[in-house]
Amino acid sequence: MIAQLVLNGFVTGLLLALPAVALTLMFGILKFPNFAVGAMLTFGAYAAFVANSLFGMPLAVAAVVAAAAMAAVAMLADVLVFARLRDRGSITLLVASMGVALVLENICRFSFGNATRNFVFEVARPTRWHGVRINQEQLITAVAVIVCVILLQLLLHASPLGRAMRAVADNPSLAAVRGIERQTIVRITWCIAGCLTALAGVLAGLDRAVDPLLGWNYQIPIFAAAILGGLGSPTGAVVGAIVIGLAEELSSLVVPINYRQIVSFAVILVLLLVRTQGLFGRRAVRK
Amino acid sequence: MSAAVIPALSVRGLRAGYGSGGDIVCGIDADVAPESILAVIGPNGSGKSTFVKTLAGLLRPRDGAIAVTGRDVTQLSPARRVASGLAYVPQEANVFANLTIRENLKLATEFLRGRAGIGPAQQAQVMALFPEIAARPKLLAGNLSGGQRQMLAFACALLSNPEVLLLDEPSAGLSPKFVGETMEAVARVRESGVTIVLVEQNVAAALRVADDVMVLVAGRNSLRAPAREIAVADLAGLFFAKAG
Repeated sequence: MIAQLVLNGFVTGLLLALPAVALTLMFGILKFPNFAVGAMLTFGAYAAFVANSLFGMPLAVAAVVAAAAMAAVAMLADVLVFARLRDRGSITLLVASMGVALVLENICRFSFGNATRNFVFEVARPTRWHGVRINQEQLITAVAVIVCVILLQLLLHASPLGRAMRAVADNPSLAAVRGIERQTIVRITWCIAGCLTALAGVLAGLDRAVDPLLGWNYQIPIFAAAILGGLGSPTGAVVGAIVIGLAEELSSLVVPINYRQIVSFAVILVLLLVRTQGLFGRRAVRK
Repeated sequence: MSAAVIPALSVRGLRAGYGSGGDIVCGIDADVAPESILAVIGPNGSGKSTFVKTLAGLLRPRDGAIAVTGRDVTQLSPARRVASGLAYVPQEANVFANLTIRENLKLATEFLRGRAGIGPAQQAQVMALFPEIAARPKLLAGNLSGGQRQMLAFACALLSNPEVLLLDEPSAGLSPKFVGETMEAVARVRESGVTIVLVEQNVAAALRVADDVMVLVAGRNSLRAPAREIAVADLAGLFFAKAG
């Protein structure tokens, strides 16, 4: 029983990891908490639904299409909204992101209604391993997320683009006088965030079903994971996501299952009270 | 300066300020001869830092023109100005604190494709000027002492092979011993063929290395003279007099 909950929690955590990393990257480079992260996830799920159900693409291909589409939409949102408000401070950007969230969510609602949709995807029998049930969606989620996280770590720590992204996060005006165009890095960050959230949307749609509030189910846990990991730290976000996933699943041992979200709120509350920098926040050198 | 020599840095009628506030830099004209050090001094709040920030491109000028070796750079972004030969070392936060020394050095040139004269040879030359930096490449730059951090910041700026180097108060927050070392480094950099604009609060230290001095008072150029003709004692009158 506990082993099953641990496995479920681990996979739930991995699913949260992608949008949590996206949120933390955007926070580091754009300097505001993007409340549209849940809506971006929903939009990505619908984009995959269109490619998969309406155009008949296999789900893997549809996921790539969805990632590309969400990256394009994120860039467009930056051009139309966020770039114009860049120097207005993080509260203005936060409120703008709520607006963008409403727009994205309602595009999905107007196009496909409130009904839940499902991907065209063959359901396979779960595998059993030492009494633990592992279903196919969980395997897909685990593999997809681990590959994404490794690729992202390589990008951030072993490529000039990653160095530039970390430089802009560290000190934007110094980055500018080192020849790094902030605007370019910001747009690339939106693209990466779009891809990550859309992929998470596909995995979430696979786990549950696609509906206009899909992203909202994950919004609070995503924020809890990113804050727990220390906002701005991608590695922290992954660890934070897994901790939140495990805590949510294991909480069902002590609280009724529909109170699961309490865990995320509790984590945020405790962190605000005792350790505002999160788990990995302290590693950042500030002096 | 003879008319035939193109100044390394030329500033005409430069005006700048923040947001919707008044001008902080109120119409500055200046020419800096190649391979010389111009010290920009003045009382607190006279607009020295705003002046160099505007030269570096971090603040958009409201009026006026800036040219590097005769090429107009007024409309360029900060990143493009570096590629045009104008390097800048800010007063504070002048290294990427959360990146290693090696990463800081790499970033100094990585995004300057097309800039002439950057490469292994230039890197070897710069590192020879600052031997203490190369020793611990994996250390986070934020863990360096103030003096070492300043040297790393110099080195990063020089790796772009600049024509003109803008230094904003390199001696700020350093102990007297490091102030001396920093000024020596400034002089070494000039000898390697770079023109320097040195904004300094520490007037005595600046006068020791500078060729020319520009005194800013209330955003205006109230005196321009060769450094050897200026006595620290004369400056008090200028600093506290009204601009004009």
